[in-house]
Amino acid sequence: MSDTLSTDTRGTPVLRARGLRREYGRQAGLVRAVSGVDLDVAPGETVAIMGPSGCGKSTLLHLLGGLDRPSAGEIWLAGQSLRGLGERRLARLRRDTVGFVFQAFHLMEELTAAENVELPALLAGRSPGAARRQAGELLDRVGLADRARFLPAALSGGQRQRVAVARALVGDPRVVLADEPTGNLDSEATLDVLRLFEDLHVAGQTLVIVTHDARIAATADRLVTMRDGAFTDETRLTGGTAGAGSGLGALAGLEG
Amino acid sequence: MQQEVVLALLAKEPSHGYQLRSWLQQALGPAGDAMNAGQIYVTLSRLEKAGLVSCEQAAGLPDRPDRKVYALTAAGQQRVAAWIADVSWPGPGLAEFHLKLIAAEAARLADPVDIINAQRGELLRQLREAQRAAMAEPHRSAAALLLEGIVLRLQADLRWLETCERNQTVRKDFS
Amino acid sequence: MGQILLAARLVARDLRHRPGPAALLLVAITAATTVLTLALALHGVTSQPYQQTRAATNGPDAVAYLPVPVGPGPAGPGPAGPSPAVAAAELIHHAGVTAHSGPYPLVTAVVRAHGLAALAEAEGRAEAPAAVDQPKLTAGSWVRPGGVVIERTFAQALGVSVGDRVTLGGRRFTVAGIAVTAAMAPYPNICYMGAGSCFGNVGPGAGHFTPSEVGLIWTTEPDAMSLTTPASPVAAYVLNLKLSSPASAAAFAGQGPGPGAGVPLITWEGIANADGLLVSDEQSVLLPGAWLAGLLAAASVVVLAGGRMAERTRRTGLLKAVGATPGMVTAVLLAENLVLALLAAAAGLAAGWLAAPLITSPGAALVGAPGAPSLPLSVAGEVTGAAVLIALAATIGPAIRAARTSTVSALDDTVRKPRRGAVLIALSARLPVPLLLGLRLVARRPRRALLAAASTAVTASGIVAVLTFRATVAVRLAGVSRGLGNPVIDRDEQMLLVLTVVLVALTVLNAAVAAWATVLDGRRAFALARALGAAPSQVSAGIVAAQVIPAVPGALLGIPLGLGLFAAASQGGSLAVPPVWWLAAATVGTLAFMALLASIPARLGARRPPAQILQAETA
Repeated sequence: MSDTLSTDTRGTPVLRARGLRREYGRQAGLVRAVSGVDLDVAPGETVAIMGPSGCGKSTLLHLLGGLDRPSAGEIWLAGQSLRGLGERRLARLRRDTVGFVFQAFHLMEELTAAENVELPALLAGRSPGAARRQAGELLDRVGLADRARFLPAALSGGQRQRVAVARALVGDPRVVLADEPTGNLDSEATLDVLRLFEDLHVAGQTLVIVTHDARIAATADRLVTMRDGAFTDETRLTGGTAGAGSGLGALAGLEG
Repeated sequence: MQQEVVLALLAKEPSHGYQLRSWLQQALGPAGDAMNAGQIYVTLSRLEKAGLVSCEQAAGLPDRPDRKVYALTAAGQQRVAAWIADVSWPGPGLAEFHLKLIAAEAARLADPVDIINAQRGELLRQLREAQRAAMAEPHRSAAALLLEGIVLRLQADLRWLETCERNQTVRKDFS
Repeated sequence: MGQILLAARLVARDLRHRPGPAALLLVAITAATTVLTLALALHGVTSQPYQQTRAATNGPDAVAYLPVPVGPGPAGPGPAGPSPAVAAAELIHHAGVTAHSGPYPLVTAVVRAHGLAALAEAEGRAEAPAAVDQPKLTAGSWVRPGGVVIERTFAQALGVSVGDRVTLGGRRFTVAGIAVTAAMAPYPNICYMGAGSCFGNVGPGAGHFTPSEVGLIWTTEPDAMSLTTPASPVAAYVLNLKLSSPASAAAFAGQGPGPGAGVPLITWEGIANADGLLVSDEQSVLLPGAWLAGLLAAASVVVLAGGRMAERTRRTGLLKAVGATPGMVTAVLLAENLVLALLAAAAGLAAGWLAAPLITSPGAALVGAPGAPSLPLSVAGEVTGAAVLIALAATIGPAIRAARTSTVSALDDTVRKPRRGAVLIALSARLPVPLLLGLRLVARRPRRALLAAASTAVTASGIVAVLTFRATVAVRLAGVSRGLGNPVIDRDEQMLLVLTVVLVALTVLNAAVAAWATVLDGRRAFALARALGAAPSQVSAGIVAAQVIPAVPGALLGIPLGLGLFAAASQGGSLAVPPVWWLAAATVGTLAFMALLASIPARLGARRPPAQILQAETA
């Protein structure tokens, strides 16, 4: 089932994959984590990938972000093919094009929120002043300006994930890849992150989100279902049914 | 509605009333115990009056309802097809969708996975609307509360859909 | 009983499950114990060979150097007193003297051979064997007219063998034979015995040769007398005595028997000690070296043990969660390392015992090799004790900490939180990426950085001590060296070479272990850094930087430490500071070496795709 390509004509795709495969092990022990995935993501689009655990969605995301090498297939990030790129160029591409948000946050415990956010900028060689300034702006954007000096241990789960999102944005990435961003969060924190993703979407950020959570998936323009390493279904979520009011009334059980 | 369910069952092959009833009982399990035994015949006669179903007397038998054989008319077939493709929600309960899946598979009207996927997409669209509306309302207002309730129910329904889908794959693996 | 069995099973399981770090630990401690064994085994190693020589040559219990009275001369009045014949007669007939040989005339003369020159004390002998002290020939035959016999070590230094021609006091002689004796200290220690046998400051060679350039040659009596000149008469008469009770030779010498006090008497014990000077010099090199090796090994062990502790916090938490007492937990943790320490002690003792003959051959001066040195129980005990101490010192801290940690936080694995070094973090932001990563790594684990600095200081001090030795030797021999071999210095250099090799080996181990521990500890941080855009080369450079940055102050500290170490080892002897460029080269070289060693685990650690590591963390 690999012919579910997006025919969105808003521009060249920010992210593009053809025939992606990722396999582990050998012969009897061969595990096909990703088997034959094609994907196009248009600029400004939010794509949600859903599926049962073990279906390979996290692996797919790591491949798309250049964190892992595919066994077969090709990936284009902002028009640049990842095939055959050395680690150094891959790192640079990753730095400038992709922002990653992990399920486990992966913040450095001994750095404050601001220091965590500015880290990719420093790794990219920007001046400390500029990096710190941008970190401040991003923390403000995610609503944590007053926590810039806090260590992660002093932040709640939702706040930590918002710091992680701010960190993902510091390179002004073309696409943000989020792997189960609310997997470790309670419902309150999920709401916070949800709002953040909605804001990003409205601001035109391209997002690819792997998630279990229907609420997060509902923020997407397009939902792709994955099973056993391949896409099994794709649905458009924007451009929905008739007028909001009547639909909601019926949902609430009011007789129409 | 239950009418459509009966129609869908007849799409497979013409049947007696009692066959339909026993099939329904089996499909609904304990949830269907409250169903009236004669309900099915009432539905069948309504359908006949509406021209969706035709009725034949088994040859050589006295004129008793349970000896009649019912079959779909052309109009009935059209109605069934429309019902299968219909994704409006909510129905009066889970039972309708549940039966839709089973009937579709038994009568080979459509792949249940496709039905589930289509329904899921629709539910997500509605969830999106409800979510957006909820976020637009002032925090903890009455409106927000109602919308939150809608969102939670939709979430629950979506989870159930996921289970249905898992079930389908398991059954496919074993078929 | 069940508890002990359980502890034993846990220890065995763990050692089998992760043999790598345990093996490293074993190697580190074994290196230290081997060096320690060698150092201790040298103790008194020559007493046996000396006895053999004494027996073979019928060595004397006491040797008298009877002064020759001279009238006032150009050097002033010489020793007054009775004539040698009278003094000799007194001694020979003294109660307690059972046998004698001599008196033999002793004449100093310059000896030249193969372009080398030294000062010889020529002892005039009869061709017939003497009753006491008949030197044992190791080559050739005994003295004859025109044929001399040279003491073995002296012959080696001069590079002569039987049949060579030498010039003695301007006259040509042939080397008839080479021999050893128990009656005098061997070259170059003749003048280091204290009283009596040294006549380097009289006669023709006065002022031209250092005390360590004096050696013994036997000639016929007429030949010896022919070497005397009016300016340089017989220096003394040698009288070898055998006593009725050799054990009281010291008392006998102290009595000052005979007419006029002050007849220089040397006891056999004094000579034995002088024989051992070679070896004790070695020991003065090996013991500090053993300390250094021990310290380096301890540093490696601390890093290794610390690393293992960190990974075992969860295991400790599990043990406690299922009911193990803190005492039990500590016991299990300690027991593992004790087992390894005991194994290392045994291995070190065995290795030292096998290697000892290479080092403890007492030099050419004595007959026979000591054979495999006996390892008295005391040595075994000391070595085992040292190994246990190292293991204990390294693990007691983490073990107590692990036992005291609450079970919950242990299961959480939140025990070894990295430190926050705000200053370093702020500072590192201004630096290029590899230094940024390296400095932050250092800030995370300040204790480990301190350890790295200490280890580097130890290594650097060892190297500086070696350099100081070379510089001192060069000064001591400057302008004086005539190419004569000096077995003491040669031996010391051999020792230092061995020691340097051991130190280098331990440094390699230490640096590799430290780098490996850093890689393991920081792998999540590195994966994250790479996910955020750092190139693998930047990450591996960062790991190397994290090793080198704390090593710099250590290397610099090693300079004064090394000088101090040499001063302590040479017991207040002269010390020459090595030239600046030697020290600079050594410092830079050490740092470059450490960087090189760290780069291998660094490259390996930076290679893995970040996804695997990050995913493993979330699993």
